Amino acid sequence: MDETTAKIKAFIVEEFMPDVPVEDLEDDYDLLTGGVVDSLGLLKVVAWLEDEFDIGVDDSELGPDSFRTVAAIKAYVDQARDGAHAE
Amino acid sequence: MSQTATRSIADHFAEQAARSPDAPALIWDGAPISYAELQGLADAAFAELEGARLPEDRPIGVRAKKSPEAIALILACLRSGRPFLLPSIELAPETLAQLFAQAGTSQVISPHGPRSESAASLRALVDDTRSGPDAPGSEWPPAGGAGGVSFMLTTSGSTGLPKIVPLQTAGVDAFTDWAAQQFEIKPGTVVANYAPLNFDLCLLDIWTTLKHGGTVALVDQDRATQGAYLADLVNDNQISVLQAVPMLYRLLIDVNREDGRTFPSVRHAITTGDKIPPSSLAELPKLFPNARFYNVYGCTETNDSLVHEFLGLADGNVPTNIPVGQPIPGVVVRVQQDDGSALEGTGTGEFMVWTPFQTRGYLKSSLNEGKFVTLDDDGGRTYYKSGDIVRRHEDGTLTLEGRADFYVKVRGVRVSTQVVEQAIQEHPAVVEVAVIAVPDDLAGARLHARVRREPDAKLNSLQLRQHCATRLARTEMPSTIDIVTEPLPKTSTGKVDRKAVAAELERSRAHG
Repeated sequence: MDETTAKIKAFIVEEFMPDVPVEDLEDDYDLLTGGVVDSLGLLKVVAWLEDEFDIGVDDSELGPDSFRTVAAIKAYVDQARDGAHAE
Repeated sequence: MSQTATRSIADHFAEQAARSPDAPALIWDGAPISYAELQGLADAAFAELEGARLPEDRPIGVRAKKSPEAIALILACLRSGRPFLLPSIELAPETLAQLFAQAGTSQVISPHGPRSESAASLRALVDDTRSGPDAPGSEWPPAGGAGGVSFMLTTSGSTGLPKIVPLQTAGVDAFTDWAAQQFEIKPGTVVANYAPLNFDLCLLDIWTTLKHGGTVALVDQDRATQGAYLADLVNDNQISVLQAVPMLYRLLIDVNREDGRTFPSVRHAITTGDKIPPSSLAELPKLFPNARFYNVYGCTETNDSLVHEFLGLADGNVPTNIPVGQPIPGVVVRVQQDDGSALEGTGTGEFMVWTPFQTRGYLKSSLNEGKFVTLDDDGGRTYYKSGDIVRRHEDGTLTLEGRADFYVKVRGVRVSTQVVEQAIQEHPAVVEVAVIAVPDDLAGARLHARVRREPDAKLNSLQLRQHCATRLARTEMPSTIDIVTEPLPKTSTGKVDRKAVAAELERSRAHG
């Protein structure tokens, strides 16, 4: 598991399901359908991403699909960082 | 008044006592009390009642914890032909005083004797609540007429003052005859009484049994949550009819897991008052190898109205959504849609019912509005609106969707917390669950689930969410799930106490 994925999983588990072992959370588990992250939870995730990875999240990008799974969040973070590097 | 009442239970009891004086009427604390002995206690109580020269036209208040003397006192009240109010002894003193005043009771009496509580505090209460015909707020007689009222029970209303439900003697007679036939209660039958004395359930397990010459084994209220005590009571007394809330069955299942004990004497195992979890239901054939299993649906206002017999439980035929049952003979059911019309065919609506046993209305007639409705399009029949939402399936069976009161709005969508509980309960590792709607500025309400898992199961919230994902809509999915191993708080009736869970949740939030 790469470092970014590990950090995201650790955060999700600690914040939303502290009773679950980190290794049980699959990369492609649907956090929204599973009710792990709801609209309020999504805001928490975004705030944490901005803080942890020093990226800006534009409200217009705040579609649920970007944050549906750990893999999607990781992809979003990677993309945002690449964008930042390119500037 | 004693001329107009049929006094049926007391008369039948006296006949049984004359016919078989040595037959056991009660079993209390391991010892039998014969029909003759109980009749003796009832005679003494009756003499005291007569000696008190209470006004003929007022009800009596009875404050009694379950005991042989308490049962004798109620037999004496029945014999006197007077209505009597029998509220829960666990109510706050002020609430009790209000109820006794509302009923216009001439006096509040309590049993006394070596096996009863007859503390001075009870006497004090009697003096405080003595309320003559001029008592303010007195509602007696009931709107439906005083004719032949015997028991006056109270609803277990969760908010406000419990409602007083006067029961006509004729209705009680019809009910006790139906119950005796349905569950084969006759001389020699031993029936367990689990519920407190003020519950309508006692009309089946205590009063049907004493009317028909059987034996009642009384569960001591103070030990009602001790599995080993309950298991001994069932086996030592060869109980054949068992009626209780699901909690009792849960306690016996735990005993069975610990020491493998089974209960072969039980012929009829009745669950009532709450939905029995499928995980408990599946275990019952192992515990009760010779029993038939029933779910009985009813309430204080109508008494029992529906019975469902579970067939094929032993072959693994465990329904996940338990049918509420078939109408008892004479009972009329109406499923009413939102537009006020009766549902034909499949769909959902509010369960409305008329039974031959039902009250003519609450004592306080202003409470009847919206609960008892007379429908001109239905022959002028007066139905009781249960507040339960039911679904009628293609084969005509009805299942409970939830209480109308349990619907909350989550992100603008109507969600039943009971539907969510049901879905969670279907997970095999779940013992019991409470789903609470937590007020939320953004969503309106967010759902919190507290789940008690089997002690040896490795259930976590992620697995539970995966389980629910195929059963629940997105808005029905709890926002937070708290998995515990200790029992959830219970109400005095043995149901999961969602309010207590909500209060604990509130406290833990307040403390960060």
